[in-house]
This record gives sequence, structure tokens and C-alpha cells, in this order.
Amino acid sequence: MTMAYDADPDIPDETLMVLYANGDRQAALALTRRITPRVLGYAARLLGGDRAEAEDVAQETMLRLWRVAPDWRQGETRVTTWAYRVATNLCRDRHRSRSRRGQVALDTVADPADESPGAVSRLQDAARLAALEAALATLPQRQRQAVVLRHIEGLANPEIAIVMDIGVEAVESLTARGKRNLAAVLAGQKAELGYEDDADDR
Amino acid sequence: MTDRDLDDLLALAARQPPLPGPDLIDRVLQDALALQAVLPQGPAPLGVAAARPGPLARLSGLFGGWPVLAGVCSTLILGLAVGYLSPATADYLTGGGSAEALDLFPSTEFLTTEG
Repeated sequence: MTMAYDADPDIPDETLMVLYANGDRQAALALTRRITPRVLGYAARLLGGDRAEAEDVAQETMLRLWRVAPDWRQGETRVTTWAYRVATNLCRDRHRSRSRRGQVALDTVADPADESPGAVSRLQDAARLAALEAALATLPQRQRQAVVLRHIEGLANPEIAIVMDIGVEAVESLTARGKRNLAAVLAGQKAELGYEDDADDR
Repeated sequence: MTDRDLDDLLALAARQPPLPGPDLIDRVLQDALALQAVLPQGPAPLGVAAARPGPLARLSGLFGGWPVLAGVCSTLILGLAVGYLSPATADYLTGGGSAEALDLFPSTEFLTTEG
């Protein structure tokens, strides 16, 4: 009986890549469970909440990951960084075609996980997340990528620079402008989203 | 909306990512196992995949590799040794003979004279 690698955070993704390339089926399962949710979440936010397209992007990104596994060079880049970069490019391609169609699937925003203390709080969180997804969809694509990678996916600026193939200063600029634009878009919904009581905290 | 409100909202989104359904996990895993079955599997131990030539190996590569570099170094050391030795020592090593009177091809002198 082999152990479940995905339950052991001490085994780095890079090691799992080598194990996968050497035929370890548990490594395939562990990488699937670790990387797929992150790519899916990132792609869903870049694609304005279109779940079906985000799943396609996640599957395609993972397929490319499996293909590159035999040639994976440890120490050059993190597996997650590589995956985010591939997903970014795939989303960019899909975003271009979707922009031509002029549609954004805001009604397909994923349901939040059921961890909220109560129904009211859960509904409010859902409303806030839906508003955030809608606001993110209004940002220019590069700003959206930078904000999502920095503030939702939790990547450091140098890592984002690799994903987006730009300099760290450009990342900082995109993130700052993206947050300013987000705040401006969401400002009109402040009371509706239950933020009016926070004004005193400033 | 304040910066703090926005940070809280982004943090909320980070805590509640869209979760993949079992269908997606199954599809990704099927891709992984199908591709794994046809991968050329080598016995390379962990860490070997990143093996790259070091600085010395890359430097020797510039000169044509270790054998060529060894020959160049040997020649360099011999040249330094010969240059450092005094003429007296050189005479001792060569038997004390003088090179001034050495005539390797005496019968070919007519080729250099006008007649």
C-alpha cells in the first residue's frame, strides 16, 4: 500500500513530477489533487466565472504538465508557477475569442465552500464574492491576472513576474492599478454588500 | 470601499476557491495515467533530472574538453620549466654539446651556393 502523497505537504511538487515520470501512479493522483484546484480557481477568475471553460483550461494545463514531466528540470521553476503560466496563456487565448463574442458568464460563478457560520453570513459572502467576480471581469486582462495571482492565489511578485513574463516593477504597477480600479467598481455596491459599518474603521 | 474592505474581500475569495468536481479530477487523472503508460521511464533517481554541467566542466568545454585542456596545461608547465632552467643546467641535460657546430645535412650545402 503506497502512501497518499497529496496528504503529505513535505513532498514537494517537483519531487512528485519526477516520481510521476518514473511511473508512480500515486504521484499522478497527488499532483492532480494539488494543482488542479489552483489552476481551476485561477482560470475561473480570469474567464469571468465561466466554469466550463475554466475546467477545460485546467484539464489542458494538466495535460501539458504530464507531457513535460519527463523533461522536468528541478530547481528552475516551481510546478505551480509553470502551471499558472500555461493557464494564463490558455485563458488569454480564450479571452480573445470570448471578447469577440462579447459575453461574460457572470451567472456561472462557483458556489462558495460551505464553511460559513450561518446562512445570513453565507449569503452575504456569496453576494460579496459574486460582486468581486463581476468587478474583476471589468478589469483589463493584465490587471486582473496580477490582482488574482497576488491577492487571491497568494503568489509573490517575482513569481508573478515569471508567470506573466514581465518585470517585478510592472507587476507592482499592475497590481496597484488593478486594486484601485476594483475599489472604484465596488464603491457603488458598498452598502448593498454590507460594508457600510466599516466606514468608521478608517 | 476602503482598502481594508477590498483586502478582506480578496482574502475571502482566497479562502473559498471554486472547487473542482469529481468529474474534472477523474478526467485529469485519466489523462495522467494514460500518458504515464507511454512515457519512457528511466531509473533516474531523484534530483538527477536537474543535473547540469558545472562551471569547470563548461570552462573545459570551451577548450575542447578535458583531454585537450590537459595537453595545453602540460605544454604550459613544460615551457615554464624550460624557460626557468639556467643554460648550464640545459647543457647538463643535453650532454654539454654545442649546437653552433651542428650540421644535420652537410651534403646539401651546394643547394644554397651560387655556382
